[in-house]
Amino acid sequence: VASTLTDRTCSAMGTYTYTYTSRPRALPCQRRRYRDHLMQLAEEPVHHGNIMYDRRVVRGNTYALHTGPLPGQPDPIEIQRQQQAKRRALAKKRAQEQFRPRTPEPVEGRKHVDVQTEMYLEEIADRIIVDVECQTDAFLDRPPTPLFIPAKTGKDVATQILEGELFDFDLEVKPMLEVLVGKTIEQSLLEVMEEEELANLRASQYAYEELRNVELAEVQRLAEQEKRHREEKERRKRQQWEVVYKHSETAQKVAARVFAQRYLADLLPSVFDSLRDGGYFYDPVERDIEIGFLPWLMNEVDKTMEYSMVGRTVLDMLIREVVEKRLAAYEQRDDQPPAGKPKDELGESGRMTEPPVGYELQEQSTAQPQRPLPGRDSLQRTPDDGRYMESVLAQETKLMEEAEYEQTKIRKTSGTEVLQPRGDFQP
Amino acid sequence: MTRRRGGPSDGGLQGAGAPHGGMDATTAPHRIPPEMPQYGEANHIFELMQNMLEQLLIHQPKDPILFMISHLQRDNNNVPKIVILGPPASGKTTIAMWLCKHLNSNLLTVENLIARELSSLAAGARRHYQDVTKVPSTLLVRLIQERVSEEDCIRRGWILDGIPETREQALMIQTLGITPRHVIVLSSPDTVLIERNLGKRIDPQTGEIYHTTFDWPPEAEIQNRLVVPEGISELETARKLLEYHRNIIRILPAYPKILKVISADQPCMDVFYQALTYAQTSHRSNAPFTPRVLLCGPVGSGRRLQAALLAQKYGLVNVHCGQLLKEAVADKSKVGELIQPYFQKKMAVPDSIIMKVLDQRLSQQDSVQKGWVLHGFPRDLDQAHMLHSLGHQPSRVFFLNVPLDSIIERLTLRRMDPVTGERYHLMYKPPPTVEIQARLLQHPRDTKEQVKLKMDLFYRHSSDLEEFYRQAIAINGDQDPYTVFEYIESGIINPLPRKVP
Repeated sequence: VASTLTDRTCSAMGTYTYTYTSRPRALPCQRRRYRDHLMQLAEEPVHHGNIMYDRRVVRGNTYALHTGPLPGQPDPIEIQRQQQAKRRALAKKRAQEQFRPRTPEPVEGRKHVDVQTEMYLEEIADRIIVDVECQTDAFLDRPPTPLFIPAKTGKDVATQILEGELFDFDLEVKPMLEVLVGKTIEQSLLEVMEEEELANLRASQYAYEELRNVELAEVQRLAEQEKRHREEKERRKRQQWEVVYKHSETAQKVAARVFAQRYLADLLPSVFDSLRDGGYFYDPVERDIEIGFLPWLMNEVDKTMEYSMVGRTVLDMLIREVVEKRLAAYEQRDDQPPAGKPKDELGESGRMTEPPVGYELQEQSTAQPQRPLPGRDSLQRTPDDGRYMESVLAQETKLMEEAEYEQTKIRKTSGTEVLQPRGDFQP
Repeated sequence: MTRRRGGPSDGGLQGAGAPHGGMDATTAPHRIPPEMPQYGEANHIFELMQNMLEQLLIHQPKDPILFMISHLQRDNNNVPKIVILGPPASGKTTIAMWLCKHLNSNLLTVENLIARELSSLAAGARRHYQDVTKVPSTLLVRLIQERVSEEDCIRRGWILDGIPETREQALMIQTLGITPRHVIVLSSPDTVLIERNLGKRIDPQTGEIYHTTFDWPPEAEIQNRLVVPEGISELETARKLLEYHRNIIRILPAYPKILKVISADQPCMDVFYQALTYAQTSHRSNAPFTPRVLLCGPVGSGRRLQAALLAQKYGLVNVHCGQLLKEAVADKSKVGELIQPYFQKKMAVPDSIIMKVLDQRLSQQDSVQKGWVLHGFPRDLDQAHMLHSLGHQPSRVFFLNVPLDSIIERLTLRRMDPVTGERYHLMYKPPPTVEIQARLLQHPRDTKEQVKLKMDLFYRHSSDLEEFYRQAIAINGDQDPYTVFEYIESGIINPLPRKVP
């Protein structure tokens, strides 16, 4: 039986014309029966079907069908796909059948036999004797399943073993008993021995521990003693060291003090000496004399000399006037050339010039600050320098006043005669 | 009362313990470690304390401790305090300005005291000056006091130029407690001064004084600027000189011990150098002082003699290195036994042994107390360093310089009489009779070659030693021993000159 799938008479445009041929044959029954499919696998697959339900036949109008990839005819791709799918399904089924748990194959020389494992054996007859159907009432509940106790088939057979027929208990039991008891006793003996041993061990352990404790205590005591000794020693050493250190420090300090004392033993005298040399300490009486008394003395001497000078100039003026008058009188009277008079006058003018010269020098010296002594008290040597300076200042101003006063006095008294010689000495 | 500084410190710590009763520790004799006196000398503790006490007495502050603290912090014991006096035209302003620059100090003259702007006193003084060209003494002294108590004068010292003018001013300044440390008076015959004054010129910008003959400025622009100051004619100068002489004769006694008169008739630089050297010397102070003297010099320069004289006069311990070693050998001490083989082989004893022996000797109580004079020791720089490291630094080092010929003369003519043991010198101490002369012997060490060898040895190391002991004093050893001794004495007694920093 062949059905061919021809052929492409116009394959260029992708249109095929389809032809189908098959020989007429008898159609077997499609219904699958129990165990029939096992035998049918050997035959080749039969490709026959109802033409009415064949998809390949074109139905409906044929003038407006889309000429798709294969109208009514599956694509070769689709065919391939379907074939693949089929193959896969088959393979799956086979695989599943392979992996389904089955009883293993019987060993060589053996054969498996099916055995019933139900509670009650059942004879399996292959013949179907009667097919019976039943239908329960639609409206009734399903009653509970009655207990199925199949009828008993077979024969019952029983045996009985009487006492003493198989074996003699006492005889048989002896070795066993011996072993049992012996083992037990042995076991118990062992256990007891073990216990004893353990007890001994423990006892010796206790003893040892006691000893050890005692020794430890002893050791600790000794160690404590040692530590105490050592600490004591350290403390003593440190104490001693501190003592020595303090001693040395004290010795150093004392040495330093002694040295400093000796070194600076001469300090005060030399300080006072240097201050005296520097003029800070002075003999107050000496200073007083120098500052106060001597200038005053000089001043007084000056004044006295000035007075005498003034007196002499006044006298000179008087004499001059008198002589001039006399001269005028003689000239009027006698008209004699006075020989001696000009000489007199020269002599007088000479004398008059001299004192002013001396007076000039004196004046210059008085212009120097020399202090007259207003009162002794203010010149006592006071530790306060300010007062000293003030007193000096007061004296100075007084002196300057005096000097001015004296200068004015000079101007008044000396008159024109003295002015000229003054001009010589003051450029 | 002048107190002569009692040379070396009086021995005996027992003296110091005497006034204390009480603790045994103070009365028992103490070992004063030698570092203390050395420290005292090195830092001039005595002068420090003296200055501080002086200031305390002068100012008499209410809180002495604070005052002392601030005084010590100021630390101005060594600042220059100089007064320069002199007749007009002696160049004192020039000297003062140069000294000022050199010593980095402040210059105070009448002009610049008056010219100060910030002082009311100065304003008053100016008014006076305009009237009478003279400032009254009290005002001037007050100005000085104000100026000297300013910060920069405290820190850098001061130089007064031409102040005090009169004895009154001098006394006033002294009463205030302002004491100079050096007073320099320039003196010169009047005729010289009058002539010199005629050539005086002033630069108006800087205020410097130039002279037509002696001190002409090199730059032409300064020359053009120079102005003839007023008041330099002969008559003026004569008048000023007269006044000056009248005053100076009364000022000089006010500064008895610190005065120095320098002749102004020399070139400027000479005057300046003399002034500078004087300004840098410190005066003798009463500080106790143990002299530790080191005499260096070539063989035959008289070290042994000088050391003996010093030891005799001042009670110092005479330490001769060679002698010490011989004593050690003679004592047969441990060190002596070490030294003996070197002596036998006539080799130089190694430095370490010498140091040990020396150290032992110098640390003994008597040399610490009385001081020592060492001679014959450091021969080269290493030995000097070792001596330094031991802690025995000499406070005075003297180099006796004698020329080679003198030494040869001194040494090669030495002779000894074997019979009597007398030592003669053919030139300085000839033997009395001919027969003694006949039997005189010369020490083989005294031959010319040996002497020359030793001299060479010395001179090789002398430059190093001179550099190491920078404060050494060089003395001409070629004179007779007592002159040299006096030089050494003055070198010991006078304080070492301070170098300007």
